[in-house]
Amino acid sequence: MSVPEVYSIAQTPVTCHAFNADRSQVALSLNDNKAYIYVKQGKEWVVEETLTEHDKVITSIDWAPNSNRIVTASTGSQCLHPLTGRLVWKPTLVLLRVNRAATFVRWSPNEDKFAVGSGARAIAVCSFDPENNWWVAKQLKKPIRSTVLSVDWHPNNVLLAAGSADMKARVFSAYIKDVDKRPVPTVWGEKLPFNTVCGEYASPAGGWVHAVGFSPSGDVLAFASHDSSINIVYPGGPVIHSIRISTLPYVTLAWTAEDSIVAAGHDCQPVVFSGSEAGWALVGTLDDTTSGGAKSTARAGTMGKLSSSAFNTFRNADTRGHTGGAEVAADTELLTVHKNTITSVRPYEVGRDGTVSRVSTSGVDGKLVIWDVGVVSVGGVTGRLGGMRM
Amino acid sequence: MSFRKIDVDAYDEDILQEIELYTPDPRNPAQVLSETKQKQVAVRTSLNKGDTIGALNIALDSPPYGPNVEEAKNLTLQTVVSVLNTTKSTDIPNVVKSLSQDEQDTFMKFIYKGMGMPGWGDVSGSVLFGWHEKVSSGTGCIVRVMTDRRTM
Repeated sequence: MSVPEVYSIAQTPVTCHAFNADRSQVALSLNDNKAYIYVKQGKEWVVEETLTEHDKVITSIDWAPNSNRIVTASTGSQCLHPLTGRLVWKPTLVLLRVNRAATFVRWSPNEDKFAVGSGARAIAVCSFDPENNWWVAKQLKKPIRSTVLSVDWHPNNVLLAAGSADMKARVFSAYIKDVDKRPVPTVWGEKLPFNTVCGEYASPAGGWVHAVGFSPSGDVLAFASHDSSINIVYPGGPVIHSIRISTLPYVTLAWTAEDSIVAAGHDCQPVVFSGSEAGWALVGTLDDTTSGGAKSTARAGTMGKLSSSAFNTFRNADTRGHTGGAEVAADTELLTVHKNTITSVRPYEVGRDGTVSRVSTSGVDGKLVIWDVGVVSVGGVTGRLGGMRM
Repeated sequence: MSFRKIDVDAYDEDILQEIELYTPDPRNPAQVLSETKQKQVAVRTSLNKGDTIGALNIALDSPPYGPNVEEAKNLTLQTVVSVLNTTKSTDIPNVVKSLSQDEQDTFMKFIYKGMGMPGWGDVSGSVLFGWHEKVSSGTGCIVRVMTDRRTM
């Protein structure tokens, strides 16, 4: 359980992934216009179905656990919404009325709405119109000044956090009259008509906001931005804790508990942060790179590597012309499980008390990995990557 | 054929301006310039006393950024470079340790600015690289130099 489960899905990047409720199926996209539904057979994931309705690259997928619906967004500025009826996926097109790519899509907690971020500087909030049997989009436009890179819903089904390329993370109200009941006042405000901005935050050094996330209670907002920092906002003050990290920026994050976050991105390993209103800090990494050589033979799905240093020395001398010792091999090879940027981290297994015990990650290396959140190793992060020289 | 020379962006009412992406410097350019000149004098005094850490702290404190303050920015670079050149290489780790996170990020920006102007004033590539190695605890610092819109 504590060793990560690694699945090599393809040789192309896995741009986005979403599991169904019982984790027996996963919908993912391999950087093209098709969405694949994989089903778990034994220890491997096998393609069960291919959804080909989009004609442009798919950017984001989300699977609603209770109603078993999938929504996919693509750069062709449309959203597709396959419904299951008797094991058959039936697509429904949703016109977002944006003239740019859709970048990110998420179902709301009650699964009656979904929000789509787009390059048209707007978020389309779509709800179902039973009269005409289609999905209708309402747009959140002001004051977004650039592409919306990520959205996340608050547990109350009304508030929406959005991270954008104009360096700001904002919290909006996406209250839709006939769909939502009047929400209970939260720390973000009360009496919130559609398109009210409840808060606007930025990281000190700026930088595109790649990922946003509400904590499980919804009272805290975290966002990761391109200036290699992760920021946690408590709206009461507002108190903003900004953690500057010494590695490459994160592009995705997920809350695992009210006081802990898993973030991942360009440095190829999921990292855990922990804290409270008093302060936040980096705890460690889920990827134990220090003993990478010995463990790689024990991991499922990876090829067995002979880890003896003598073998490596001669192999490097032969294939790469290196005549240095084992040090040289360590410098050029990534010892993390993911060999390239992690594109998405999602909660996989949620315990009875609501805390996430396992997360799944997909990466540009074509791998899907499931991690145990409890296995955090300190020193793995800066040890290997802090020594990285440009 | 003149339509090819039209600047389309000038007609876009909703275009994203650079100034919207960061909080601009509240001081006006003349004030920035005079502050920079005062800092230069203070730094020179500190260096004469042998206090490199204090000198660097003064030089990196509220640096000029953004448009319209080119002269002040160049002057600040000259001031910072003068501190770097007079510091012994054995002292470098101590000085770097005394800088706060913000100051380290600002310092990195100046190092890169200096590297972009080789041979200007007292700028010496080897000195800059020596400092660069000590300040960068990983790539985060460098990413912040590239991302931050408050350009030095």
